[in-house]
Amino acid sequence: MKKKILAVLLGGCMAAGLLAGCGGGNDAASSGEGTDAAAEDSSSGGGDYHFEVVVKSFQSTYWQAAITGIDAAADELGVDINTTGPNAESDIADQVNMLNNAISQAPDGIALAANDQSAVLPSLQDALDAGIPVVCFDTGVPDAPEGSVIATIATDNESAGAVAAENMYPVIKDAIANASGQVRIGEVNQDATSANISGRGMGFINKMKELIEADGKTVAVIGNQYYVDQVENNGDEGSADVIIEVAVPAQTTVELSATEASNIMNKEDTIAIFGSNQVTAEGVLTANQNLSVLAATPDEGIVGVGFDAGATLKAAVADGTLIGAVTQAPVDQGNLAIHALYDYCEGKEVSDIATDSYWYDAETMNDEEIAPNLYD
Amino acid sequence: MANKSVSNTAGTNRSFIDRMGGQKFIVLILVIVMFIFFCAMSPGFRKYTTVVSILDYSYYIALMAIGVTFPLLTAGVDLSIGTGLICYSLIGGYLIVHQGWPVGAGMLVTVLMGVIFGVINGCLVALMDLPAFLATLCTCMITRGFGAFIVGGYGIPWPTATAPGGWFRSIFKIQVGGQNIPIGFLWIILLVIVMSFVLNHTKMGRYTRAIGSNKEATRLSGVNVKFYHIMAYVICGLFAGLAAIAYSAIFATVQPGSGAGFELDAIGGAIVGGVSMSGAVGSITGTLIGVFVICLLKTGLPFIGLTANWQQIITGFVLIAAVLFDILKRKKEEGR
Amino acid sequence: MGEVILTMKGIDKSFPGVHALDHVDLEVRKGEVHALMGENGAGKSTLMKVLTGIYKKDSGTITYEGKEVEFHNTREAQDAGVVIVHQELNMLGHLTVAQNIFIGREFKKGIRIDDKKMNEEAKKLFDRMHIDIDPKETMSRLTVGKQQMCEIAKAISHKAKVIIFDEPSAALTEAEIEELFKIIRDLRDQGLGIVYISHRMDEIKVITDRVTVMRDGAYVGTLITKDSTKDDIINMMVGRVIYEDPKTQNMTPKGSPVVLKVDHLNAGKMVQDVSFELHKGEVLGFSGLMGAGRTETMRALFGADPIDSGDIYVNGKKVTIKSPEDAVKCGIGYLSEDRKRFGIVVQKTVAENTTMADLDEFCNGPFIDKKKECEVAQKFVESLATKTPGVDQLVVNLSGGNQQKVVIAKWLTRNCDILIFDEPTRGIDVGAKNEIYKLMNQLAAEGKAIIMVSSEMTEILRMSDRIVVMCEGKKTGELDISEATQENIMNMATREIN
Repeated sequence: MKKKILAVLLGGCMAAGLLAGCGGGNDAASSGEGTDAAAEDSSSGGGDYHFEVVVKSFQSTYWQAAITGIDAAADELGVDINTTGPNAESDIADQVNMLNNAISQAPDGIALAANDQSAVLPSLQDALDAGIPVVCFDTGVPDAPEGSVIATIATDNESAGAVAAENMYPVIKDAIANASGQVRIGEVNQDATSANISGRGMGFINKMKELIEADGKTVAVIGNQYYVDQVENNGDEGSADVIIEVAVPAQTTVELSATEASNIMNKEDTIAIFGSNQVTAEGVLTANQNLSVLAATPDEGIVGVGFDAGATLKAAVADGTLIGAVTQAPVDQGNLAIHALYDYCEGKEVSDIATDSYWYDAETMNDEEIAPNLYD
Repeated sequence: MANKSVSNTAGTNRSFIDRMGGQKFIVLILVIVMFIFFCAMSPGFRKYTTVVSILDYSYYIALMAIGVTFPLLTAGVDLSIGTGLICYSLIGGYLIVHQGWPVGAGMLVTVLMGVIFGVINGCLVALMDLPAFLATLCTCMITRGFGAFIVGGYGIPWPTATAPGGWFRSIFKIQVGGQNIPIGFLWIILLVIVMSFVLNHTKMGRYTRAIGSNKEATRLSGVNVKFYHIMAYVICGLFAGLAAIAYSAIFATVQPGSGAGFELDAIGGAIVGGVSMSGAVGSITGTLIGVFVICLLKTGLPFIGLTANWQQIITGFVLIAAVLFDILKRKKEEGR
Repeated sequence: MGEVILTMKGIDKSFPGVHALDHVDLEVRKGEVHALMGENGAGKSTLMKVLTGIYKKDSGTITYEGKEVEFHNTREAQDAGVVIVHQELNMLGHLTVAQNIFIGREFKKGIRIDDKKMNEEAKKLFDRMHIDIDPKETMSRLTVGKQQMCEIAKAISHKAKVIIFDEPSAALTEAEIEELFKIIRDLRDQGLGIVYISHRMDEIKVITDRVTVMRDGAYVGTLITKDSTKDDIINMMVGRVIYEDPKTQNMTPKGSPVVLKVDHLNAGKMVQDVSFELHKGEVLGFSGLMGAGRTETMRALFGADPIDSGDIYVNGKKVTIKSPEDAVKCGIGYLSEDRKRFGIVVQKTVAENTTMADLDEFCNGPFIDKKKECEVAQKFVESLATKTPGVDQLVVNLSGGNQQKVVIAKWLTRNCDILIFDEPTRGIDVGAKNEIYKLMNQLAAEGKAIIMVSSEMTEILRMSDRIVVMCEGKKTGELDISEATQENIMNMATREIN
C-alpha cells in the first residue's frame, strides 16, 4: 500500500519536473549554450581566457539583465565564461560554495557579486593564493584581502538617489515656491539595513534638501529614525516649508509598502513620492489603484517617481502614472566586469568604476542607451 | 440516589460571552474598537479608499485562513500556503503571459496547482504519517523553489485591469462612476457562508473536527479517516489556489521568492479568531474576524505613525494574547 | 440462553516475536452474557480485535449467524451487528452526544447532516435504556459514567446482535456499575449476545452466564458461572490461588506516630475543609464516588494543584507545599490514577523511569551515571518482582501491573515515607493486582505510611486500616476497618446528596 503511494508521488514529482523543464528551464540553458558557442566561434581576441562569474541570484530579472551584459562582453572579447549563482540573494552559504568551486576550476579570473561581504573573505584569500584575479561588481567587498580584488564595478547608490531627486525637483519646484503652507514629499525604502537601499534613500534626501534649500526654503526630514538620524542640520518639523517623510515597511512585501505609501499619499499636503526600489515603487502603484492620486504635476495630484524596472514599473512610466524612474546599469556592470578581467589578463591597468544610473521617462525609455537596462 | 451525584451540571450556566460565540465575540468587538481607534487617530485612515485598501489586502489572507482552518481543526497545520500561493500564481501567470493561454485557463491551472499540492500535503500527513508541521514545511520549500524555477526567476505581471484579459481583476473590484467598489468582499462572505455550512452540516466538516478531537476514536467508529484527513489539506490547497487568484488580481507583479510569511498572517488570523492549535475547536466566521484583526493591525499601525519594528512587536503580542486566551479557556474547562 | 450466534474456532495470530493467540476458541449464544477473562496480555483484546477486523487472523474460522465471515474493518463488523465498546473511552470530546453516537453514519438531508433527526434518534435510544442524557450536550461535559452510557447507546444503535464490553467498569463508580448491569441485563433479555471482559471477579459472578478463560494467548476453558467458584476461575487464569486475606482489624502498631497531618485543607470547589491524620505503617483508604474530590485532595496535598487554605504537617512539622517538588522534598510520593498521563514516561526505559524523581543522586556533575542507575533499577526490579526483560526495556512494553511497579520503584528510590496510591489497581489484572496489594502491605510493614484512593469497595475493605470517606469535596466520615461495611461506607459517600 505504502509503496504504491510512494510510487505515485514520485511519478507526480517527475511529471512536474518534466513540465517545468519544458517551461522556464530552457531560458537559462539556451543562453548558456549560446555563450559557449560564441566563445568558440570568435577567436578575434588576444587569448583563450576562461572566466568564472558568480552572481547574487538567478531568481531576479535584474541579474538576468546583468548576465546579458556579461554574455555580450564574452562575445565581443572571445572569452569563455561560466556563470553560476544561488537561488536567492539570502542563500549566502550556497554562494560561497559556488565561489569555492569556481576557484578550484583555476580560471583566468573571477567576476563576483557578493551576497555577503564578510562570508566571501576566506574564499577571496584562497583566490589570491591561487593567483586568480577577482573583479567585484554590483557590490564591493571593502575588507577584501589586499590585492585579491583588482577592481570594483558598482552603482554609486548615493548618486542614483540624487538622480531621482534632480529629476523630480523641476516638476514640483513651483508648487513648493507657491505653497501657502507646508508641503510634503514621501519616500518609501524597503529597509534600513542594506547599504544599497540606504545609500539610495539618503542620496535622494540629501539632494532634495540641497535643491530646496538653494531656493530659500527650509526642510525637515521625519519618519524612520535610521534615516532621520543621518540627516545633517535637520530642520524643525513645525516650521519647515517642506517635509520629507521616510517610511519603511515592516516586511518587504508589496502590500506593506503599499500601506506605508497610502498613509503618505492620503495626507492633504503631499505633493510627491519616491519608491526607492522595485518593490516599494510597485507599492506606490498598488496604493494608487485605490487612491488614484498620482499625476504628472502637483496641481493635479501627487508626482510619483520609481526606481529600477520590471514590467509593471515600465508600464506605469510609459502611461505617465509615474513621471519617471531611475534605473541602474546591470548590463553595463556585467559588461565592464568582464572587460576589466580581460584587460588585467592582457596586462593593462584596471581601476574601480562607478557605473551610471539613468533617468528614464515615457519618452526616453526606448533610447538605445537605456532600453537594454530596463529588464522585465 | 447516587445517580444524582453524576448528573450533568453543564448547559445552563454558560456566560453571556459564551452564548454569543465566546472568543469570536470578543474578537469582533476588538475589531470594531480597533477600527474606531484608528479612525480617531488618523485622518488618512478614515477614508473610503483606505477601507477599500484594507479589504483589497485582506482577500488573499482571508482565503488562505479559511482554507488553513481545516488542517488546524484536525490538529495539524499547513505552512506551505504562503509560498504555495506565490508558486501557483507564478505558474498560472506564466502560462498567461509567456505562453499566451487565455486568462480563464491560467486561473484554472492556478487553482488546480493548489489542489495538487493539497493532495501532496494530505498524503504526506495522512498516509505516510509525517507530522503536519514537517511535511508542510517541506512543501513550503518545494513550492518556493518550484515556482521560481518554472518562471526562470522573472517576476510575473498578470494582465493589468485595462489590458486584454484584465477582466479577472474586476472579480474583486469594479469601478462605478470613478469609485472603486470592493466586491471581492461579497465573495469572501459567500465563501465563509458556504464553508461554514461545510464545516457544521456536512460529513466533511464533522469528520474534520472529529479527527482533531480524537483521530483513533474516529477511525474506530468506521470513518474513512485517511480520506477525510487528506481532504482537509485539499480544501486548504484549494483555498490557497483561490488566494493566489486574489493576490494576482490585487497586486501588479508576482515576485518569485516572496510569499514566505504570508501563512503566518493566515494562521495567526485563524488563531486570533478562536481556532485552537490543538484541533477541533474553531469556526470559519471566527477565522474571518481574526483575519480582520491582523489586517487592521497591518494597515492601521503605519497610519498612526508607528514604525516597522513597533508594528511587528504589537502584532506578536496580539498573537500571544490570542493563544493565551485559548490555553486559559482550555485549562478552565479541564479544571471543571 | 438461546442458539449459538458466534463461534470463533482455532484462531491463531502472531506478531513479530509474539505468538499472541494460539488456537483460541470462543462461543457466544443469543441471550447470554459471556465473560472473557485472563490476565493482561492473555490475549483477550487481541481476540476481540481479530473478531472486529482490526487485526487479520493467521488461521482459524469465525462463524457468525451460521455463516463463515471475516470482517476487514470495524465498519464491516458494525454493519453486520458486531460492535465493541472500548476499554479506553473513545469519545470525541468536542462533538455532541448525538454526533458521537452517529459518527460515521450520519443521517443526511441531501448533503446536509440532519442534526435534528440525530438528536431525536439519540433521545429514543436513551429512553430505551431508561437513562437521561441530553443528546445536544457536548461530550466532554459529561461524567465518565455518562460517556460510557453513550458508548453503549452507540453500540445498540448499530442494531447490534453481539456487543463486546472491554472492561466497561474500569472507570465507573459502584452506582454507575449497577446502572450498567441493568442495561446489560436488558440487552441480554432482548436476545443479544454479550461478551464481557473484566478483571473484577465480583462482577463476573453477578452479571455473567458463562466464563471463558484465556492464559498466555491460549484457550484454557469455559465454565458455567453459577456452577463455579471464584477460586475455580482464578485457578484457571493463573494456575494458583492468590489474593491477600482481607483485613479484619487495624494492623497499624499501637501508638505509631502521626507522620502526616492535614488540617482544614481547601483547594477549589472539590476540596472543602478536609482534615485527616496518617500514621506510620498505616494504609489509609479514601473511599467515595467518582468526583467526590479524593483525587483533588491528593493533588492539592502533593502540590500539583494550588491550595487555597489549610495546613499540612509532616512528622509534626508544618510544611509549605507549593509544587510537587516541595512535596517530594517532604518525602511524599504520588502514584497517579492515570499512569499513562502522569505516572510514567512510556517511551523511556525502566531504569530511566526509576531514577526520574531522584536524578541528582545518579549524576556525576552533568553526567548521568548509567551504571549506578541500572544497578538501582535492577535492585527494585528484583525486590518488586517486576516482570521485564531488562531495565533497559521501554516502559510502554510492560503490562499495567508492571508499569505500576516501576512507578512504585521511582518513589522508593527517592526514599519517600509517605506514598499516595491513587487507584493503584485500575486496569491491572487479578494476578498483578494481588502483587500490588502484597507490596503495599509489605511497604506498610516496613514503616511507610500509605494513602490509597480507590473506587473499588472490595479493595478499600481488603486493604485499609482506616477509611476516610468523601462526598462532593467534603470529608463525610472516618471509620476503622473493624467497624466498616459496604453499607455504612456507601451511606457516608452519598450523605451530601439531596
